[in-house]
Parts: sequence; structure tokens; C-alpha cells
Amino acid sequence: MSASLLEISNISKFFPGVKALQNVGFSVDKGEIHALIGENGAGKSTLIKILSGVYQPEEGGKITMEGEDLGVLDPLISLNKGIVVIYQDFSLFPNLSVLENITLGSYVEQNRKLVNYKEMRKIANEMLRQLAIDNIDLDESLGDLSVARQQLVAIARALANDAKLLILDEPTSSLSSSEVEKLFEIMHSLKERGISMIFISHKLDEVYRISDRLSILRDGRYIGTYKADELNEQELIAKMVGREIIYTIYPKRKLTEPLLEVKKFSKQGNYKDINFTLHKGEVLGITGLVGAGRTEVVKSVFGLNPQDEGVLLLDGQEVAIKNPSEAMRNGIAFIPENRLTEGLVLRKSTQENLTLTLLEELSGRLGLLNPKKSDKVAASWIEKLDIRPSNPHLFTAKLSGGNQQRVVIAKWLATNPKILIVDEPTNGIDVGAKAEIHRLLRQLAETGLGIIVVSSELPEILAVCDRVVVMKRGRVTAQLFCEGLSQEDIMSRAI
Amino acid sequence: MKKLKMIKELPLIIILVLISIVITIINPSFLTVENFLDLLKSNLVLTMMAMGMLLVILTGGIDVSVASMITAVTVIIGNSLIHFSQNILVTVLLATLCGVILGLINGLLITGLKIPPIVATLGTMSMILGIVLYVTNGNWITGIPQNFIDFGRIMILPKTLADGRVIGIPIQIIFLLPIIILTWFVLKHTVIGRGIYALGGNLESADRMGFKTNRIIVFVYAFEGFIIGLSAVAHTSIMRQVDPNAFLGFEMQVIAAVVLGGASVLGGYGSVLGTIIGVALFSVINNGMILMRIPTFWQKIVVGLIIISSISADMIQKQREEHLKVRVDVDEVASYEA
Amino acid sequence: MKLKIKGLIATKEGILFIIFLAVVAIMTILSPSKFLSNYNLQSLAYQLPEFGILSLSMMLIIITGGINLSLTFSATLAMIVGGLAMSSVFANTGGAFLALVIGVALMLVVAALAGIFNGFVVSYIGVTPMIATLGAATLFEGISLNITKGGAISGFPLSFIMIGNTAILGIPVPMLIFVVILILMWLLIEKSKMGAAIIMIGCNPKVAEFSGIKVKNVLFKAYMISGLLAGVAGVIMASRYNSAKESYGSSYLLQSVAASVLGGTSISGGEGRVVGTLLAAMILQVISSGLNIFGLNRYLTNVLMGFILIFVLAINFVTEKFKKN
Repeated sequence: MSASLLEISNISKFFPGVKALQNVGFSVDKGEIHALIGENGAGKSTLIKILSGVYQPEEGGKITMEGEDLGVLDPLISLNKGIVVIYQDFSLFPNLSVLENITLGSYVEQNRKLVNYKEMRKIANEMLRQLAIDNIDLDESLGDLSVARQQLVAIARALANDAKLLILDEPTSSLSSSEVEKLFEIMHSLKERGISMIFISHKLDEVYRISDRLSILRDGRYIGTYKADELNEQELIAKMVGREIIYTIYPKRKLTEPLLEVKKFSKQGNYKDINFTLHKGEVLGITGLVGAGRTEVVKSVFGLNPQDEGVLLLDGQEVAIKNPSEAMRNGIAFIPENRLTEGLVLRKSTQENLTLTLLEELSGRLGLLNPKKSDKVAASWIEKLDIRPSNPHLFTAKLSGGNQQRVVIAKWLATNPKILIVDEPTNGIDVGAKAEIHRLLRQLAETGLGIIVVSSELPEILAVCDRVVVMKRGRVTAQLFCEGLSQEDIMSRAI
Repeated sequence: MKKLKMIKELPLIIILVLISIVITIINPSFLTVENFLDLLKSNLVLTMMAMGMLLVILTGGIDVSVASMITAVTVIIGNSLIHFSQNILVTVLLATLCGVILGLINGLLITGLKIPPIVATLGTMSMILGIVLYVTNGNWITGIPQNFIDFGRIMILPKTLADGRVIGIPIQIIFLLPIIILTWFVLKHTVIGRGIYALGGNLESADRMGFKTNRIIVFVYAFEGFIIGLSAVAHTSIMRQVDPNAFLGFEMQVIAAVVLGGASVLGGYGSVLGTIIGVALFSVINNGMILMRIPTFWQKIVVGLIIISSISADMIQKQREEHLKVRVDVDEVASYEA
Repeated sequence: MKLKIKGLIATKEGILFIIFLAVVAIMTILSPSKFLSNYNLQSLAYQLPEFGILSLSMMLIIITGGINLSLTFSATLAMIVGGLAMSSVFANTGGAFLALVIGVALMLVVAALAGIFNGFVVSYIGVTPMIATLGAATLFEGISLNITKGGAISGFPLSFIMIGNTAILGIPVPMLIFVVILILMWLLIEKSKMGAAIIMIGCNPKVAEFSGIKVKNVLFKAYMISGLLAGVAGVIMASRYNSAKESYGSSYLLQSVAASVLGGTSISGGEGRVVGTLLAAMILQVISSGLNIFGLNRYLTNVLMGFILIFVLAINFVTEKFKKN
């Protein structure tokens, strides 16, 4: 019992329309490497944000550290208590030296006025020694280091801040195998010092190698904590995805003629040798874990991230698409993942957003927009997709998530596309609205559109898609028919 | 050898040396002690102001009101020397006080009212210059007390040349050197200095780390104001009179020198050494143009080109880095199954 | 009807119009004989166009999320190059019409080129507009000085001078030009597809790009148009002053930013209306002309303008904060 460092109980977190976490509770021992496993959207990042004080849990939630109830956390208090999160972006300063990145934080915390480089060097060297890191020069500018070594600096900084619990969020996602080895060595030495780690990863082989125990989250719920040798991979996957599919599973369609063919797409640092075909009237899913390269591939099809090599065929004809405008001219539409930062202009109205993709169609010879046409088009789409409130001049910032998504969908459907690419169509949307969007996508497919759905939600893929392309680390690992497919089938090829 | 490579300013130093060689070939009188001392004196104020502007640019800001501020302070101390007190110390105190107040105005407008630095300093420039020109009506202030003039003429280690001229290190160096050292010290050895770099590099992270970023920004503009005050004293002691139009367009030269010295307008990058080299390079180019008998009207063209090409080079490099960024750790070996 | 009027007044433009009336009223009260004199009203009518056009040019760039610090310097460069060509052709050939055509055409072309230069550096090289146009300002000023050596270019044909100093049916020609530009800019910004694209780019360039807008292309064109407008203003100014000098119109830089901001253009971009800028330009013009008529030192007028700019931004900040709470 005294070996326990952190105990969380009854942690819940609700957002409008979404239950991110429900009654999650588990414990982490001193010096333990504890893996946190779950799909995208299982609630892992919400849980981390609660532990680091960015979010507050709902009433009743308790976080205890070394027997002491931590009470209400905020980012500074959480850091003070020794909880340090190593994020993917590290929040380091690329323009400062390694030395300063490691030690400056404590100077600020102690409200000191002068910088003592000798002292800083001593501390930093000590940190690096404790971590057995010998190939980083303290005076090097952080921005000049590789991602792997920047991460080591982040860990050294955490150590310098007297971290008791280190939370590593997908720490190996950009590391080479030798860099992963180095990281694991360091994690072991941290373990020996009695520092605990929560290790979030999708790479099951790594999880099995390095963790003492693992906890599984699914759809915001805590499934269980197991010793690393208690579950095999199959059982693990089953627990990750083992749920009833609550969505309507639409009948799968037979293959028709090819509409879009992606042949041997490759892009340095993004993906390699991607091949797949989208057929008329088909809903094709592309799935995989975060960092698999799915969004990068579809962005390339849309001209936002042009490929280095590869050929795109539309209706059998080769086309070169170098920018979104050319993609649109070829009948391709793209609904991006982040509707708030990539899909909509929040401080403009529904109508202004809706007509953004139609500027050519709505203008006459002199380049002047036809206001009547614009009004008509906006009104008709607001009605077709039941966008509420129906006032076309309302700022989209005032719409709910579901309605905002509808505006984005409308803006693209209005271009009369032949191919619709949707990236995470129901992200952050409540269940009822999700079902509506699924229904809409199937209806569109019925009319002959080819739809590509990029999604991390396996139930969604199985419900809505006819076939699915599974990606892993920048490559296609499988193309499967969704008929009779299980979530485990997909996950085992993604992980 | 490794240490030498790590000096970021090395390319600039090389360019400086190369240009100096070229100019010397064209006009050998460049490479003389008198010319260098002359250069030092005529670029003293530029160097000091560049120190202040460096801090501002490090935070990602800009200040186009510096020329109007130094003009205002020179007018104030000019009048003070004549009508109020001849005492040099009093003059210095008055000048720095005025400079700090003017700097604080900018700093508070930027942090308190969230006015973008370019617009805020554009506004203050207009106001300060307007008041100064109104009060002086564009007229010079002459009649600076003799003791101040004598002070300005002092030379350290004077040497009489063959033709009877006396050359030496100008006394104003007692303003220049402390400012350089102070700026270097603040940037390198104080937490607030490192905070300047931090917030210029990643404002959000700096906030999260606990830096009081608003206070740091106000400090930067106030510090710049302090330097402007001292520069005003130095300038007046060299020129021995006050010309309200002396600094027209000067802010561009200060900015050009800082940018040339490797500072990035986006913030976070730049150094005292780099800025000094930037000033040196700038002044050498100017001096070179004079010695090569290129008309002074070309100076503005050169300033404009320097600014645009320095920033362009910076931007192009950043874009290249962004383009090559690795987004996905791609598996080299395929693992496809049908 | 009452509600409609109330609604009109409550708009930003309505408030600006009221401020305009108030300013006119104050000026009239302070000195009716001077302010309402034929001389003053005439000079207002002749001066407003160049300032108004420059303000529209500045507004266009601010909407894109940038700022054009080289605005007035582009205008003077255009004036000087075109003016030089015009006066030499006139002096050498005596052909007034030819000189006029060459002069005006060259002024517009040079200004457009200045805009293209800025557009290239900002959209294709990717330099932030503030520093790009700051550098360009000095560059243009340097070229202007190089040509004039500090002096003024003169010797323009009568036909050119008439542009800025005569009236057709009682309306000054510059005013007619201004009205045309107003209508064109209104059509461009508020009614055309390019305007819609520009506004969206100013709000969120990423969304614009993702929606198929060729952002670099549009930005480039915006800077070119802005340059062209500066050229038109330059033609009017050169004609009115009957000479071209690099210091002309320098105070217009800050004032055009002030006019844009006062007129409702957001300093961070994405918003702006032609009518608003027009009313704001009118307000500032009346203030500056009025103060001039009363003999206030023009330096103090500059102080006031600087203050107005900061004041308007301060008010914007406070009202934004208020809205959030």
C-alpha cells in the first residue's frame, strides 16, 4: 500500500454533449511504469489534462498523491506537486540552449533575478548524468536537436523540476528504433530512482516490453488494470474495442466502377507506397492510429500537401492536382478535421461561410457576386441540412458543434462534388447528430458520390463504410471489406 | 574548432571582413586609425540605439518612434542645459528619465491596450515629433554651455598627427561601452533577459513557465527609452547643438542595423555581438559608399534593400525547414496483407 | 420608419456620420466665417479625394491582415518618375497631350509596380507585411530622392495641371475621380468574389486555402491594386501641387491608417467597409483642414492625428473586452 504514489478515483468529465470520462479510477505505484491504453477518443488526453490541472474533474473526483488529497489542481500546482507531462510539442524554447531549457523553469519559480550559469550547468549535467545521457551538448540550441533528443531534454527538465510522476504522451511516435532503446534505458533509470511514469502508447510491442502494468480506457470508461504478462495482444485489443456498435450498420454495397485511383503515392516524412481505389457510390474508410499518415494522404489527394511521387486517376484519366482549386475543379471536396480552425471562419456568418467555396459559381462576368443567388443557395442548404438556427446571417461561432459541422458539409456539398473526403466527420459531436451525419453520408453515396471517410472511431467505420483501408506508420497494411468485419480485425492491423 | 562553428555570427564577420577588404582596395584610406575613430564617433549613437532596438525586436516587436524620441530628449536637454543646469550629471539624469517615460508609454500601449507595436509606435512617433517640431518650430538650439561642449570634445589617448590634427577615442565612449555591457549583461545573465528570449521564442510556453511576459515587454520598451536618453546626451555632446530634424529617417537605419546583425523580426533570435557586427557592417557599407563617392541618396536605397533581403533570407530558410519537417515516422518496410 | 432610422443610426456608419456632423458643427461654431468660406469648402473638396483614395488603399491591405507602410512613398515615387518623364517629353517635344498621357500612364504603372514588389515579397517570399513594406518604404524613398536629389520636379503641361485644379459642372475633377474609385472599391471589397476572398484571407488564411482560394495569388493582386490606388492619388497630388517632391503627402501615411481604423476596419484584418472609411476620411479631413484654417500649427495637427489613432484603437480594445464579459 505504501508503494502507491498516485490514486485517482471517481474521475469524470463532461463536455456539452460528450461524456469524455466516467468514473475512472486506478492507481500508480512508486517507480512503476504504467501504460495507459485506449483508442483515440477513449479519454486518455482528457485524463492527462485533469492530472496536469488543465481541466477540473466533475464533483466527486479525487486525486491522491502519497496519501495526500491534492484537492483542486491548476497547471502550476500540479507541477509543484511533481506531475509533469511530456507533450508531443514539448513546449520547449527552440531558440534557447539545452542548458536553459532544462534549468530556466526553476529559476523563474524561485523568483530569482540573476542567472548563474555555473550552477545551471551543474544541475543540468547532474540531470543528464542521472539519465545516462552523454551525447547532448548543453550549449547547443534546442531547435538544432532532433525530435528524439528534444524529448530527452524535456525529460531532463522534468527531472530538474523534481518530477514524481512523469506522463509521456506517445513518446516514441517520431523516434527511430535506436532512439526508442535510449528512451527505454532512461525510463528504466528513472524507475530506479523511484519516479513513476504513465506511458501512453499505441505500440503494443513497446507497451509489453516496458510497462509493469497497464490500464485500459474505452469510451471514457475504465475497463481494468492488468499486469503486462496477464493479457495477450488479442485479449488486449478485445478489451480496447469490445463494445456494442450502437450505430445503424448500413447495408454494404457491391463494388461498381472505379472513380478515384491512388497509385503509389509517396511523400518523404509523410507516407509511402499508398495504393487504393474509390468506387462510384462507395463509402471507403481510411483508419489507423494517430500518426499513421491518413490525413496526410487525403490532403495530398486534395492538393493541400502534394505528393512527391505517385499518380492519381479520376475516371481512368490521370490528373495532376497541385492545389485545392484544381482539386475542386476535378470534383473533389474536402471536409477537414478541425472545423474550428480549418473549416469555418467563426466570426463570419453562415451564409458567408457557405458561399466561400462557390465564389466562382456565384459571380458573373465582371467577378461580381450575385446576391440573390447567394441568398438562394444559402437558404436552400440551410434547409436541406436542417442547420439551426436558420438565420443565414448569424455568426457561425454561435452555432452548436453539430450545426457548425453541417455548415462545413453544406459548403462542400454545394460544390456538387463527385468525390467527398471527410476527415473525422463526427469529432466532438453528440450521438444523435452523429447518426444524422452517417445517414447523410450513406444517402450521398446512393446518389453516386464516392466518399472517403477518415476516422479513428472503429464503430463508425464498420457502420458507415463499405470497405476500409487500414494504415500504420505511413503505409497501408490492409484493405478489407467491412461486411462481417470486427473491430478487433481492424485494430490488429492498425496497431 | 567546434566552438568556432557554433558562433552564429561567423558568416556576418566574414562578410564584414570581405567588404572591408574590397573597400580598402578601392580606397586605401579606409583602413586607417583615423577613419576607424571617425567611424566610431559617427556611429556611436546608432550603436547605442541598436542595443535598445535589439531588445524590442527580440520580443517580436518593433519601434518606429525611436527617432522622434531621441529628438525630443535632445530638445529637452538642450533647453535644460541652457536654462536650467549646466551640470552634466543632471543632464544625464534628466535625459534618461525622459527616455524611460517615453518608452513606458509605448510599452503600456502595447501590453495594456493590446495595440500592435507597429501601430502604437507609429502613433507615438507622430505625436512626439509633432510636439517637438511645434515647440522648436524646426529651429536649431544653439548656445549650449561651454562646459558641456568641452566635455564633448574630450579625447582619451589623444595623438597628434603629422598635419597637426589630434585624434583619439571620443569621450562619448563612456556612454557607449556601459550600454553595450549592460545590454549584454541583461540579456545573458538576468532571468528577465532570458525571459525576453523565451517569450520571443514561444510566448505561450513562456507564460506557462511563469514568466510575467507583460512586465518583461514593458521593461524592454522602458530600457530602450533609457538608452535613448543616454544616446541623446552623447549626440548633443558631439554635435554641440540641437537640430530637431537631425534624426529624420534614423529609425530605419537602426532597424536595418539590427536586422542585418541577424535578429529575426519574428522574435527570439539575435545577440549583442550580432547587432554590433550589424552596425559595423552597416556603417562600413555607408562609409564605403562615401569613399567610393557614391551619392548619399543611395543610402536609403541601401537601407531598404538591406532590410528586405535580410528578412527574405530569414523567411526562405524558415520555409525550407517547415517543408522538410517529418510528420509521420514512416515504416521503411511494407507490411501489407491483402 | 422611426425604427428604421434608429436602426441606421445604431450602425457603425451611422455613428460615424453623426460624428462627422458634430465635427462640422464644432468647426462652424468656432469660426463660421472661416470654416464656411468658399475657400475652405473648395479646399476640402479638392483635398479629400487624394486622402480618401490613399485611405482606401491602406484599408485594402489592412483587411488582408497586413499594413502598407510604403503607401505614401509608392505614391511619391510614382509622381516623381511619371512627372519627370512628363516634363521631359513636354519640354523636348512640346506635345502637351503626349506628355500628359505618358505622365499619367507612367505614374500608374510605377505605382502598380511598387505594389507588385510588395505583393511578391509578402505573398511569395512570405515576409511579414509590416517589415516588408517598411523596407520598401525606405527603398522607394531612396529611389525618389535619387531622382530628384531633394528638389522638386515641375514643368507639367497645363492639361495635367487641370486634372487637379478644375471642376466639371461645379464638381472638382479629383472629386469625380474619387467617386469612381469609391464605387469601384465598394464593388471590389463588398460585392465581388475577390473581395470575399480577401476578407476571408484576412480572417483565417488557412480556412481560405482549404476552401480552394489561391491565397498567394489573391494577396499579390491586393497589393497590386493597393499600389495602383496610390498611383491615382499620386496623379491627383502631383497635379494639385503642380510639382512632384518626395516629401509630399508624408503625413497621409498615419492618417490613412487612422481613417481605416476609425472607419471600422479591424487592425488585425478580416473586416472593413468602404462607406466607413469614407466617413472616417471625411471626419479627419474636416478636422485637419479646419485646424489649418484656424491657424493651428500643422505640427500640432499631426499630434492630434496620432492621438486619434491610438484613441480609436483604445476604444476598440475596451469595447471588445466589454463584449466578452
